Amino acid sequence: MIVVLEVFTLALLTLFALTSVVAAYLAIRERDLVRAVVFSAIQSSMYALIYYVLMAPDIVLVYIPVSVGLIPAVLLFVIKKTERYEGE
Amino acid sequence: MVTKIDVFVAISIAIFVLSLAYITSLGGLGPLPPVDVRDIAYQYLNLTYNPWRRFLTSFALESVTAIIWDFRGLDTLYETAVFYGAIIASIALYRGVKITHSRGGTGLSPIAKTVTRLSFVLIPTVAASVALHGHLTPGGGFQAGSIATVVIVLAIIVFSRYFLPGHGLSKERALLLRSIGLLGVGLTSIGLLLISFLLGVNAYIFQNQAKLDAPLSYPSLVDDYTLGGSLLFFNLSEFIAVAFGFMIVFLLLSVSEEDVREVVTRD
Repeated sequence: MIVVLEVFTLALLTLFALTSVVAAYLAIRERDLVRAVVFSAIQSSMYALIYYVLMAPDIVLVYIPVSVGLIPAVLLFVIKKTERYEGE
Repeated sequence: MVTKIDVFVAISIAIFVLSLAYITSLGGLGPLPPVDVRDIAYQYLNLTYNPWRRFLTSFALESVTAIIWDFRGLDTLYETAVFYGAIIASIALYRGVKITHSRGGTGLSPIAKTVTRLSFVLIPTVAASVALHGHLTPGGGFQAGSIATVVIVLAIIVFSRYFLPGHGLSKERALLLRSIGLLGVGLTSIGLLLISFLLGVNAYIFQNQAKLDAPLSYPSLVDDYTLGGSLLFFNLSEFIAVAFGFMIVFLLLSVSEEDVREVVTRD
């Protein structure tokens, strides 16, 4: 039973980690900066799930508002002050 | 539109990440941390709530908050000081910029406003519960403060940047409230010391419960409800300080570029 749980935990971690890598890649590739911020938020929420699986709920509680709420808000304010689309 | 290069890059990144994880799990990038509970972790877990060793325990049910605000309280005080300094720096950068509430910023559509009004009640409730139960369940002052900041950001984005100052929460008042929160952190950390001067007994900075040579302690139990001594006061003060500190930053960030340029080029 414990072995099954361990394998399940590791499988979840691998899934979240690989999804976060994909989201990070998309965030870098994206020319539309607002969409890049959304991809970055998806990557951060995957990290939050990883913290939850690793049994760190204190970190999850601060990671979700900061990474999904506050950092995108700061970045959106900054994007508003420059241009939305990245040039070639 | 997925090109061949995209697929190639994605597969190579996946192989890189998986091989790095495999090397790390074998101990290739430095020694692996031990799997079993280390001695200091055992002590922290053992002493978080331990009525049989009442000169060492913190009488809280949540060990992370006990470590953050009691066992390693001085570290957290300095972290709070760093946060305080960062906010002061951002205020100094925007010195002279006024957030007037005369110009007509109307915000987003009535639908967005109605939905956001609901969150004006719900999110602060969650934040207050995270702060007040910080010594019982996962959470604490910083967590609650950053959750509460989400509602402030929503108010600025959905209702325009003049909404909060127009309703009595100006930048100056936020600074005042934040200072009150910091004062709370400071007073809680030296509270028992101040009382000990009056009573003429021994006490320490960041003392929560009574020690062998220091008899004073914060209330740990009120009518069967665990208070965790100073942890509740620390969490509340940090909640206020963090929420209004972030609020100042976001109010300043939301000031339009023209207003800032006007002030900067004037000097």
